Amino acid sequence: MAEPSFLDVQDLHVSYGPIKAVRGVSLQVAEGEAVAIVGANGAGKSTLLRALCNLLPRASGKVMFAGRSTAGVPTHLLAGREGMLLVPEDRAVLRSLTVLENLRLSHDTRPAGRSFAAANEEVFAHFPRLRTRAGQAAGNLSGGEQQMLTLARALVSPPRILLLDEPSLGLSPRLVREVYAILRDFRARGMTILLVEQNVRTALRFAHRAYVLRQGTIVQHGSGEALLADDGLFRQYLGVH
Amino acid sequence: MLTEQIVNGIVMGSLYALIAQGYTLVFGVLDKLNFAHGEIFMFGGYVAVASVAMGASIPLALLLALLACGALGLAVELVSFRKFRSHDAHITAALSSFAFGLVLLDLVQKAWGTEPVAIELPHALRIASVEFLGVRFSVVKLAILVVALVLMFALHLAIARTRLGRSIRAVAESATSAALYGINVTRVIQIVFLLASAMAGVAGAALAIRTGFAANEVGFTLGLKALAIMAIGGMGDLRGAFLGGLLIGVFEALAFQWGFGQIADTGVWLFMIFVLLVRPTGLFAARASKEARA
Ligand SMILES: Nc1ncnc2c1ncn2[C@@H]1O[C@H](COP(=O)(O)OP(=O)(O)O)[C@@H](O)[C@H]1O
Ligand SMILES: [Mg+2]
Repeated sequence: MAEPSFLDVQDLHVSYGPIKAVRGVSLQVAEGEAVAIVGANGAGKSTLLRALCNLLPRASGKVMFAGRSTAGVPTHLLAGREGMLLVPEDRAVLRSLTVLENLRLSHDTRPAGRSFAAANEEVFAHFPRLRTRAGQAAGNLSGGEQQMLTLARALVSPPRILLLDEPSLGLSPRLVREVYAILRDFRARGMTILLVEQNVRTALRFAHRAYVLRQGTIVQHGSGEALLADDGLFRQYLGVH
Repeated sequence: MLTEQIVNGIVMGSLYALIAQGYTLVFGVLDKLNFAHGEIFMFGGYVAVASVAMGASIPLALLLALLACGALGLAVELVSFRKFRSHDAHITAALSSFAFGLVLLDLVQKAWGTEPVAIELPHALRIASVEFLGVRFSVVKLAILVVALVLMFALHLAIARTRLGRSIRAVAESATSAALYGINVTRVIQIVFLLASAMAGVAGAALAIRTGFAANEVGFTLGLKALAIMAIGGMGDLRGAFLGGLLIGVFEALAFQWGFGQIADTGVWLFMIFVLLVRPTGLFAARASKEARA
């Protein structure tokens, strides 16, 4: 690769005390690219994403985002100023705030050069269900609606990179299809996306490129299509068929 | 006579509420108690005394107490809470803030002595009163009530309607989620300490103006009572602190009126124990306590 990647992770190590959860991960994401990290439960996927947002301290390694090192940049600045939007496993919508307030906060910290009302119109056109729920506490939404709300945040204030931790977790097959339809739309708009999934096939079908993570290490990578066609991969690393 | 006592109770209750809301604001975002809060409230009274002695008007004295105590709040946050943000540092933060309060108390005693210090109000102001529905009300008391209610209403609006309020509620729910929304959690916590302590400072100054002197034991007596009121109203619940303050203020005034003032203080503490036993979320907090926060 000649020019440096948009997100460039070099030899990242992350530990929980004695437990080494991420061991020397290197990966690249280009601007506008959709990249998946697949791996079994406990492979270190969530740890990796949390470390990218500086929610966890890194033991060693280097992370460059848009040409700048993220070392020492606090999470809120990565999220706001730098536009690194992480949607964690538990979704982490603000349950005690209303749907509208959740969107409003995203707009507050990272206004996308237009009024909140204008941003909202776009959101509600995409997510009509959220319009009817606008005044309700986000904690009262169903799991699927909460996932829609997290995606809606990405519309209100488009991130420079969207990090998704298992967006299909706990959702019905129908909702998973809905979520990925929206992600495909984001991808088509040129949004840069890095997502981690246990739901391997869905993720590989979605991503331009993918990495396979096993016990904290990247064991393989390639285009989504190539990995999807690799039966050995599924048997060897992912424990699925 | 009864009406007057009830008004007295409401005035005192509004001061309790002002202090209790400070405890509850901090508790809401940190799940920790600021044990320096009572002494910061106490200090507000001395700021008022000193300001008036140097020729400041009453409104200016209140403003100076607000600023000085707000600054103290920032200091408490920095030294007693900043390092102890994690959930297993409750005791450390409690001890540290308690010590902060004791140091403040000691400094006040060194500077002003242990006896109450009189505040020199113009005689005309002291006796000024208005008549309403056949009852005379002291202008000073009414002004204090108005100031307290305005401050608490402004806080309510700020929490419910503004960007800062949304950020405070976000941090109260989850500091991690708030950071992922781009909120500077440390900044929000600082602002919460600033607001809480500024309100306590105004309460301390108002109390000194109302009673005519600043006393250094009020941090322990009234400051701790406000802590009980916070628990009675529901920890982390602003409305609960407000209603609890008024309830206890009126209860005490009536206790004095009916001749059992001696047991009013104990009554408040017994009441808190009782409330915690039968309704640990407090009398006024909404059922889903997380939602009622802030
Ligand atoms: N808070 C934690 N403390 C200690 N170990 C953890 C913690 N979170 C995760 N781990 C461990 O780190 C490894 C990677 O976990 P995680 O990143 O959650 O994996 P994944 O998201 O791929 O399922 C696992 O062995 C897990 O047990
Ligand atoms: Mg995970």
